[in-house]
Amino acid sequence: MAEQEQNTMQNVQSQTQPTNTEIKVPQADPHDPYAFPAAMPSSADREPRSFEVDAFPKPTRKQEDWRYTPIDRICEFFDVFEPSGKISVDITDTDGNPVDTSHVEVSQVDMGEKPSGTVLMPNDRVSAVEWVSGKTATVVRLHGENEKPVVVHVHGGGMDLDSFHLVIQADDRAHGDIIVEHDGTARIAEGVEIVTGVDSHISTTFVQEWDKGSKHVGNHRIRVGAGATLRHSVVTLGGDVVRIRMDQDFGGAQGDLNMLGIYFADPGEHIEHRTMVVHNYPECKSRVVYKGALSGKGAHSTWVGNALIEPTAPGTDSYELNRNLVLTPGAIADSEPNLEIENGNIIGAGHASSVGRFDDEELFYLESRGISETEARKLVVQGFFAELVEEIGVPAIAQHLMNVIDRRLARGENVAMQAVLEEK
Amino acid sequence: MQHTLEIKDLYASVETKEGRKQILKGVNLTVHSGETHAIMGPNGSGKSTLAYTLAGHPKYEVDSGQALLDGVDILQQTPDERAKEGLFLAMQYPVEVPGVSMTNFLRTAKTEIDGKAPSVRTWTKDLNEAMKRLRMDPKFAMRSVNEGFSGGEKKRAEVLQLELLKPKFAILDETDSGLDVDALRIVSEGVNRAKENTDLGILMVTHYTRILKYIKPDIVHVFADGHFVKTGGPELADELEENGYDEYLPEGSTESALA
Repeated sequence: MAEQEQNTMQNVQSQTQPTNTEIKVPQADPHDPYAFPAAMPSSADREPRSFEVDAFPKPTRKQEDWRYTPIDRICEFFDVFEPSGKISVDITDTDGNPVDTSHVEVSQVDMGEKPSGTVLMPNDRVSAVEWVSGKTATVVRLHGENEKPVVVHVHGGGMDLDSFHLVIQADDRAHGDIIVEHDGTARIAEGVEIVTGVDSHISTTFVQEWDKGSKHVGNHRIRVGAGATLRHSVVTLGGDVVRIRMDQDFGGAQGDLNMLGIYFADPGEHIEHRTMVVHNYPECKSRVVYKGALSGKGAHSTWVGNALIEPTAPGTDSYELNRNLVLTPGAIADSEPNLEIENGNIIGAGHASSVGRFDDEELFYLESRGISETEARKLVVQGFFAELVEEIGVPAIAQHLMNVIDRRLARGENVAMQAVLEEK
Repeated sequence: MQHTLEIKDLYASVETKEGRKQILKGVNLTVHSGETHAIMGPNGSGKSTLAYTLAGHPKYEVDSGQALLDGVDILQQTPDERAKEGLFLAMQYPVEVPGVSMTNFLRTAKTEIDGKAPSVRTWTKDLNEAMKRLRMDPKFAMRSVNEGFSGGEKKRAEVLQLELLKPKFAILDETDSGLDVDALRIVSEGVNRAKENTDLGILMVTHYTRILKYIKPDIVHVFADGHFVKTGGPELADELEENGYDEYLPEGSTESALA
């Protein structure tokens, strides 16, 4: 890719927030200098976390969290609303058959009844609104070895405001994969809680293939168990405005989090992903890799990757990366990694971010072998995402995602063809 | 079938920081099927520009002239159309295309060139055999195009494409550069095989005579200052080996001084 890249190790964000409380600077232990906790207040301390809508001011673009978001296009999600209940939800295996009930339990609970509301707390106004507006939560609990992925299919029921709350629970040592698919037309506020048990191996994949005009505000709250592995993938391929914010922490030491994102923004669409990874236990590992393609005027993507390494997390190994491929002129990609490191005894905390165009040399190479420019571009975009999809390591899901991407690329072709036909 | 590639009075330029600069200044050359032409010349004489201009690289702009492949002026065509017409360029620095597997790439190219998808059974067999002949590890097919390949592996992959795509004319741009003796022999065998099997016409761009021991040229040309200045038989290569390019360089400069 023709791109500018910056790699910075341990880029410590300065803390300038004034505070009224007097800070007691602890004495360092010369035998264990890394135990010295950060003397500065961490940004985690000043961000409100609450189930109350009024704990959060109405979003404006002056607020850091909302500076890239087209506020006026999603303001309907800023106040509590009566959900239309028109969204339909099916839970099956990948062949459309009922799930294996010996390893998967599906239930409904009232909002606020456990296990809903147990993983972290809403962290912005729209997630608090989702919590207060919703009536029930769908709970999917995995235990033992799940061979087949579970598919939660969320189908939009039109433009009336609706909400959906999903809790994914994995027991200790559970193995399994969950795919949450969104399609149709919807204006949806979605809340997802994910909590994984000790030494579990879970993958969760969220696919947004919304029809034109759909709006989706989402909030994922994630806790990765001790010694557990979680692969959390987000694939957003359509929607007028999609804004998904993900907050995570660890439930114990040696957790491994792999967050992966793929997005595709068409003209006029705003696709926003915000990841907040918190290292709060020792020796945990996190990888955040988001890649997006944008085409056309007014296509807008935002990726904000926050990583916080707390004093309680020695041995942290974290890395985050965002790459954007601008397919045609007129698109805007915002890419902002933020690292806050409060512990010097870590393995790594790196980030990379880039926005690039098609590489002429790559295209020429493919074309010189008889491949047309259109086909060459398609191959390059497929390749751009395939690198990422391969890392998922679950063949059924990788294949599923490549199919979804191919479908999206084919749609682009149809749209391009449509434009040609309309011009004539 | 006999094919002809005829380059007629070709002038081409490149956009540089200092402005537009004409590199090719009246190139004339005719190549027939089954002929091997060595195009030799000092560094900076425009040999590679000729190769890339014929293949249609967007960096080079044709000012005037023609390149007729069986009467069709390929300079009016897009790079993929030229490839379909039967032209192949083996690049000095093959480009990496991340995430696109060699198999997917080769099959797509083969489908485009032939106008139809190759049959699954014969294609896999052809690919495996061609790779084996070039001593390529089968797992190369699963890797991304040229990504993480060594210099020698990249050159083998170029010759693999040459053998599979079966063009009418191939331009080999410094295919010998960066190869050790064994790799040079394997790559040359591949080129010779392609020539034997398909009566390929070859334009071999090279600075050194080394590769000519393995791929025997019928005709040797000296290229200097953007056009051909001398043409002869294989003995001309020996003469160049002996005397270097000094006599073809501008007054007062030497090859090493230009490099």
